[in-house]
Amino acid sequence: MKTRNRVLAILGVLLGLSALLAAPATAADGDGRVVRVGTEGTYPPFTFVDPRTEDLTGYDIEVMDAVAKEAGWGEPDYVQSTFDALFPALDADRIDVIANQVTINPEREARYLFTRPYTYSRGVIVTAAGTDDVTSLDDLKGLTAAQSETSNWAQVARDAGATVQSVEGFAQAAELLVQGRVDVIVNDNIAVLDYLASTGSDDIKITGYAGEEVSEQALVFPKSQQALRDQADKALEQLGSDGTLADISEKYFGADVSVENPDEVDVTTDRDPRSWGEVLQDAAWPMLRGAIQGTIPLTAISFAAGLLIGLAVALARMSPSRLLSAPARCYISLIRGTPLLVQLFIFFYGLPQVGVTLPGFLAGCLALSLNVGGYAAEIIRGSILSVPRGQLEAATTIGMERWQAMRRIVLPQAARIAVPPLSNSLLSLVKDTSLVSVILVTDLFREAQNAAAFSQQFMPLYIFAALYYWVICFALSVGQGRLEKRLGRYAV
Amino acid sequence: MSTPLIEVHGLAKAFGDTPVLRGVDFTAASGTATVLLGPSGSGKTTVLRSLNVLETPDAGLVRIGDAAVDFSELPDDKGARRRQVRALRSRSGMVFQSHNLFPHKTVLGNLIEGPVQVQGRPEDEAVAEARQLLEQVGLAGREDARPADLSGGQQQRVGIARALALKPDVVLLDEPTSALDPELVGEVLGVVRDLSQQGWTMVIVTHEVRFARDVCDQVLFLDGGVVAERGSAEVLTDPQHERTKQFLRRVLEAR
Repeated sequence: MKTRNRVLAILGVLLGLSALLAAPATAADGDGRVVRVGTEGTYPPFTFVDPRTEDLTGYDIEVMDAVAKEAGWGEPDYVQSTFDALFPALDADRIDVIANQVTINPEREARYLFTRPYTYSRGVIVTAAGTDDVTSLDDLKGLTAAQSETSNWAQVARDAGATVQSVEGFAQAAELLVQGRVDVIVNDNIAVLDYLASTGSDDIKITGYAGEEVSEQALVFPKSQQALRDQADKALEQLGSDGTLADISEKYFGADVSVENPDEVDVTTDRDPRSWGEVLQDAAWPMLRGAIQGTIPLTAISFAAGLLIGLAVALARMSPSRLLSAPARCYISLIRGTPLLVQLFIFFYGLPQVGVTLPGFLAGCLALSLNVGGYAAEIIRGSILSVPRGQLEAATTIGMERWQAMRRIVLPQAARIAVPPLSNSLLSLVKDTSLVSVILVTDLFREAQNAAAFSQQFMPLYIFAALYYWVICFALSVGQGRLEKRLGRYAV
Repeated sequence: MSTPLIEVHGLAKAFGDTPVLRGVDFTAASGTATVLLGPSGSGKTTVLRSLNVLETPDAGLVRIGDAAVDFSELPDDKGARRRQVRALRSRSGMVFQSHNLFPHKTVLGNLIEGPVQVQGRPEDEAVAEARQLLEQVGLAGREDARPADLSGGQQQRVGIARALALKPDVVLLDEPTSALDPELVGEVLGVVRDLSQQGWTMVIVTHEVRFARDVCDQVLFLDGGVVAERGSAEVLTDPQHERTKQFLRRVLEAR
């Protein structure tokens, strides 16, 4: 009895906590409104997390801050996500604007509202050091290019006849190029120069311009935010004429890229001179915080809720009434027959289009709970079925009602049988939470991504992230051992 | 003659297309022991399990004391049906062939589960009675043991005590010694003999013919889903029907 109350109490606290953590930014129209800004945070020098201050910063971020100030808005609320998830987030009304070097093109102009440009850049072609025969877009035919799927550069590469291999961001693309897994990257010259300068890499090189066109990057708003766009546009104009944009640009690029035909960009300042040991040291705390604020509460809440769902569905599935068993069967089949990533996207990007917008953390919890519930239901059903039939008969002969017999006699015995397979589900869940970084929730893995994008230290950082997950899972499996021992005392 | 405690009339049951009971009638007076004998598949266990509705007969009447269910005319209302069945069940306690003790509860926990959780009796009272019952079946001091820590014979004696703890009008025993090692059979049969002497009304399915002879007031020999022969314990020494003779010969020879 006591244990159950305690579990319920903890569950209540966790649910309350999640509501707090996930409280949506209140957006009131007019002065001082908080605008939600979507950005990668992994695309230096435009948008990245500075490991020394742990602040999100970069050219786009500073421009955005300046725009918000000029427009009389409040401090912007930044939401980090991969580039490919930014537009769905805009469509789903999860963010109001994207500040992430979004290039203006006709397709996008048809769907969204752009401000005036704040960056002028040129596309460049990047190859591995040993490649000499790819110097213009004409040479791309039949090659494989590594690109962010929804970026403008992916379309440029595709139009030139290249096959596009989707990647998370430029840093990953560069890594694939170095490894020889792709032939070419088309990207913004500034980002590439910054990468070359900050990594000191001579494994990849710029071989030429991707066409003659100068591309323009601007802030993007959804069509529904005409007023905001106009305010931002006016602010950008003011910032351009009073020299603020030029100052910000000078700081990052040694040139003013906010005007057409900028001077030669100079990004040779060594942004990150840290050794990989220092990188790990600096990343340790943010990753731990990601675990404590993201990974662990997500796991705890989703598992607890998933168990309750699983129990209810298992009982419904075993019910003689088809009215209960048919939906339960259907639910289990859908959950087990579809990828978790797709389920997460449906909850996060799909539901808002039918008018249900849940905060990211809550959407993550809900999708993960339902996922765990589907698997737990079958585990619990199997465990109930493996309790000998005689137990239910004995309970019946001492006068118990069906439900009472289930609760006091069958379920306690089923619980013991279910512990090992449910522990498996729990460990899977711990690791599955890393998927929520795609729906704008900051967790352990997201922090690792941030640190890796800035420092380019993929190997040590990802191994370090793996180590964190392993420690959490190890602690849980020790707990499993103890629980089994305790329940095993009553073994037949 | 006073009204019998147990009355069974026209009991019929089929599993799918196979009839197992084809009209079984009998009565038993309070304080008597009734033994059901018969070859495997004769329907004796189904009769026993019909008395507490672990099997639902297709037709016929079962009455124990003032609780009766007429399976030929069950009420349409589910609630009413359930109340009738529950009332009938509450008149009996059951001892299973494989004891079916609750492995996650202590010996004492097994005994007080029904009285406290179902009958709603005060726990201290139920515990005191349970201790008495354990002493009666020779297991005083084993209150806190888990079923898994006991021998088969001890487990079955706990099973008997658990049935008695409900203070039923009738104790039903389904082959209580069949699953036991031969050297453990005696201790269980001893306890059942004691019950008989204390005046408990019992219905027993067993293959222990000698034991049956000692305790029973009435023997029902079932064959093919009907009572082929019935009578006092003498039936076992001097059977009239050929089927009964054959069966007894086989069972006794096997010993």
